[in-house]
Amino acid sequence: MHCNLPVIKNFFRFLIVTTILGMLLLLPACTQKEQKVKSITVYVSEDQVFSEPILNDFETQTGIKVKAVYDTEEAKSTGAMNRLIAEKDNPQADVYWANEPIRAEILKQKAISAPYISPEAKGIPSMFKDPHGYWTGFSARVRVFIVNTQVKRKPLSISDYLDPYWKGKTVIANPLFGTTTSEIAALFTLWGNKRAKEFMMGMKKNMVAISTSNGESADFVAAGRYAFSLVDSDDATNRLRQGKPVSIVYPDQQPKDIGCLVVPNAAVLIKGAPHPEAAKRFIDFLLSPQTESKLAFADCAQIPLHRGVKIPPEMKPLSSIKIMHVDYARVAKKMIEIQPFLKSWVGL
Amino acid sequence: MQKRTVLTLMAGLIVIIGLLPVISMLLKSIIIDGHLSLNAYYGLLNSKRQWTLLKHSLTLASLVTILTTVIGVPTGILLGKTNLFLRKLFLLILTVPLLLPPYIIAVSYSDLLGQEGLLTPLLGSTLMHHINRWLFGLPGCTIVLFSAFLPIPVIFTIAFLRTVNPHMEEAARLSASWGKVLKGITLPMILPGIIFSALLVFLLTFGEFGVPNFLRYGVFPVESFTQFSAFYDFQAATATSMPMAIITFFALLIEACFLREKTYQIQTVQDNIQTPVICLQRSHIPLTIATAIMVLCITIVPIFTLVIKSANPAAYAWAINRAGNSLIRSITYATTGATLLTFSGFLTGYLIQTRSLKIWRAVDSLTIFLFALPGTVIGIGLISLWNTPWTNFIYASPLIILLGYLAKYTAITSRISINQLAKIPPSMEEAAQITGASWSRRMIFIVLPLSRHGLITAWLAGYVFSLRDTAITMMVYPAGHDTLPVRIFTLMANGSSEMIASLCIILIIATLLPLGIILLLPMFKRLRYGH
Amino acid sequence: MDIKVIELHSVSKVYNDYTALDHCSLYIKRGKRVVILGASGCGKTTILRLIAGFIAPDTGRIDLNGQQVSADNIIMVPPERRNIGMVFQDLALWPHLSVHGNLAFGLKAQAVPKKEREKRIHNMLQLVGLSGLEQRRPSELSGGQQQRVALARALILQPEIMLMDEPLSSLDEDLNIRLRTEIVELQEKLGFTLLYVTHNLEEAFSIAHTVVVLKQGRIEFQGSVNQVKRFWEGY
Repeated sequence: MHCNLPVIKNFFRFLIVTTILGMLLLLPACTQKEQKVKSITVYVSEDQVFSEPILNDFETQTGIKVKAVYDTEEAKSTGAMNRLIAEKDNPQADVYWANEPIRAEILKQKAISAPYISPEAKGIPSMFKDPHGYWTGFSARVRVFIVNTQVKRKPLSISDYLDPYWKGKTVIANPLFGTTTSEIAALFTLWGNKRAKEFMMGMKKNMVAISTSNGESADFVAAGRYAFSLVDSDDATNRLRQGKPVSIVYPDQQPKDIGCLVVPNAAVLIKGAPHPEAAKRFIDFLLSPQTESKLAFADCAQIPLHRGVKIPPEMKPLSSIKIMHVDYARVAKKMIEIQPFLKSWVGL
Repeated sequence: MQKRTVLTLMAGLIVIIGLLPVISMLLKSIIIDGHLSLNAYYGLLNSKRQWTLLKHSLTLASLVTILTTVIGVPTGILLGKTNLFLRKLFLLILTVPLLLPPYIIAVSYSDLLGQEGLLTPLLGSTLMHHINRWLFGLPGCTIVLFSAFLPIPVIFTIAFLRTVNPHMEEAARLSASWGKVLKGITLPMILPGIIFSALLVFLLTFGEFGVPNFLRYGVFPVESFTQFSAFYDFQAATATSMPMAIITFFALLIEACFLREKTYQIQTVQDNIQTPVICLQRSHIPLTIATAIMVLCITIVPIFTLVIKSANPAAYAWAINRAGNSLIRSITYATTGATLLTFSGFLTGYLIQTRSLKIWRAVDSLTIFLFALPGTVIGIGLISLWNTPWTNFIYASPLIILLGYLAKYTAITSRISINQLAKIPPSMEEAAQITGASWSRRMIFIVLPLSRHGLITAWLAGYVFSLRDTAITMMVYPAGHDTLPVRIFTLMANGSSEMIASLCIILIIATLLPLGIILLLPMFKRLRYGH
Repeated sequence: MDIKVIELHSVSKVYNDYTALDHCSLYIKRGKRVVILGASGCGKTTILRLIAGFIAPDTGRIDLNGQQVSADNIIMVPPERRNIGMVFQDLALWPHLSVHGNLAFGLKAQAVPKKEREKRIHNMLQLVGLSGLEQRRPSELSGGQQQRVALARALILQPEIMLMDEPLSSLDEDLNIRLRTEIVELQEKLGFTLLYVTHNLEEAFSIAHTVVVLKQGRIEFQGSVNQVKRFWEGY
């Protein structure tokens, strides 16, 4: 058996060098508590494509490095929420950027968040923040109809899902996940259990299709497979900007109607955060009108909650939309309560 | 004494890194507030949806296994036992999908056949609509995972063909044509290897998360994720991962009972005995063309799709801007992980090959069990065990990712080491032992140098698998320490397809680079030194 | 007139930089027992593999029964059509087949009808003294029994030429002597041409009609046993 000593020596040198280098690179990461705050940890449920630039801007402005954990897709998220709950006794995160207030409420109910009332929260309507500061809303989406332009009659109300005219021509994202769950739970709080369940069964009877996400629903409508779907405003705006044959309808806008559900992002201070002061600074930054303006002009097209923030011309300000008045805390509780019903509705 | 200590420590490390997290996860799912509670499991058994998802997972795994075996074994024979033109090149190209996270192949198929895919202008939106319905679902998942895992039976077939004593085939060749020899002699002799590769493909498909998630086909591993995320239910998440663990366990039981001894006999034939090669005559050109078409469809077209989709300098600039750091982290963690895996694999391989401790079978079974276990299950287990204030220095650092790699991939480097160690006659070490050399001295100066080829192969395998890992890393990476495959996954939500395609190409290059260097190094040496 | 069954015309074979055979010419008559004698690595096995058709000569020509079967790196007639039986040094018994299966494989491949097949298997096992062991696997047999199975498997196809590559090298002396006697008896009974390779002088002298002495790929001497003995003494 031929044995080439120089080759062996080189290989083992390579192994030793890579191990040492690797360990050296990893070692700084192991030291958790830094004497001077140089970084904070943020868990983010907003899509990385939209949220990362905001985190980068904070870094540039303050010099504080932001380490992030991102979710994947709303129905399949693996990073943020589950880790916050799993890490309850040993929190790693300083701030949680939720993409809807229900998650923020759940964190409050599980005693994972801490109260903080930011100076920037002044300009935000009270409906969109927790009274004790456990979460504060900013940059919202609105639940709208995305409608294919081939369709002759436009849907105007969420009750159109029950209209026989649309039988088999409508789609909705899986109500077990994300903002669709929030919407259904909101309806349960507004209408009561009986009426809401009748609505859900009526949708089924009218052969509503179930997609895996709002994005998929929007794609189906854009492709002409279905006439309309209830989606988030950013999904609809995206398809519009891509030149797809769709239009946006704000449902239930008549005086006696329930209005559209507003789904703001929410900034949450984590209880036991390793760097609470820097975390508060970051929350202030998130809630600022400047950040809201950036998110309005980005592809996510989110509507500012502060009044007077500069927005793109095609965007409707919140003041011009009839919004659904809900108590997000009640919606969060209701969401957990109706889980078994939703599972059986989906066919579990 | 030294030998026993070191090997026992190694075995203990595998138990701590791999088995304890799973046990911890299991215990936490059944002990709630100090009481035994099987509610999560009752819920699982009573749920119609769970049975449906399990059926989906088993269907997908079975289809992929059957397809890869039926096509992979003849392909392995063609590439490993005939004089087909360009067979080494075909093998090299065919192996590429195995080196990548399977969801990247799904991305490329979507870029090609999706509603706005590259073929849409050619085929029209009506036809594409029908193709889409096929792509996003069971058929699409099957095709993608078939492409990803076809190299496994091909490589196993080639490896096991090399263990067949050439005289066996030659004795048969005196009375029968190659077709009959392959059917009556060769295939029965390599059957344990074929079954093992089929089992491996089955388990890898069963535990696959990324592709069904992307192509929107509900399967069991996705459910485990979802329980953990949408419902924040740790007990339910663990309960849903248990069927995967149980199926994995039973599959490995089959392997241990019927195949283990036979697959251990991967002793390649001595170098001086030439393996008989089948000379293709009239069928040479048709088979070459057929193989080229297969390689084109499975590997070249998907990668080329990504290249075309990303063929925009701005997309690459944006991709590097978004993912530059994660690429460096990926390479760092994969390199370190590969080195650690080489050591862990070598020591466990040595333990198993020499049967130095009575627990060698248990150690072997454990490493394979952990390899076959879905990454999501291991991830949940790691969080369950290591997320405490006392172990924060591990949990909150990239060390947790490395632990995940060690848990999941030690089996690969171990098997490679076993294969290499089997070629070294025991007399080599015995000759050193009789001179009075200690065990560590014998290992460092005799066994390790003689195993250098195996070590290099193990390192490369460890690098590739660590680099492509998504499921475990996604579950446990500390904030700010995401790797490139994870970043691609998170950016897929609303990221432009051009950017995703360019990130995929960057990942492919990062994966193939060390392999390319290792392959081209002998050539450079020859050019430099003239021999 | 003695007919030449095997003819090697100036055959050479080179592996990388190593010359296994160097312009060897060899002519073997029908019904004779020829032993190729030489040390390890002298090219003995290469000659057998060339005649069997597993490899082709780099230069030179090989004829069997007057028909050209391979020449200049081309194999014209594949092994399964040369009517050759071979016993390998490691016997190469198929471990997954029983004794019956090992014997039946070649007959099935040659499409021998079942009745005929069973008859030949029965007769052959009787001939080699292995009746009653049909269902045993090779691993369940003794060394001598395995040897006989290998012989039987090669002979059952009624080959004209038998090649044996050091078939008795792993056996103890008593068994070696017994089996070589049996091989000679079988050859005389069935009349095949035997080409036998060994490095053992005693074995060679007890089996051969003609001995060919090979050294470093070249034929040093060939002749009768007595002629070779005299050559060896003076060597």
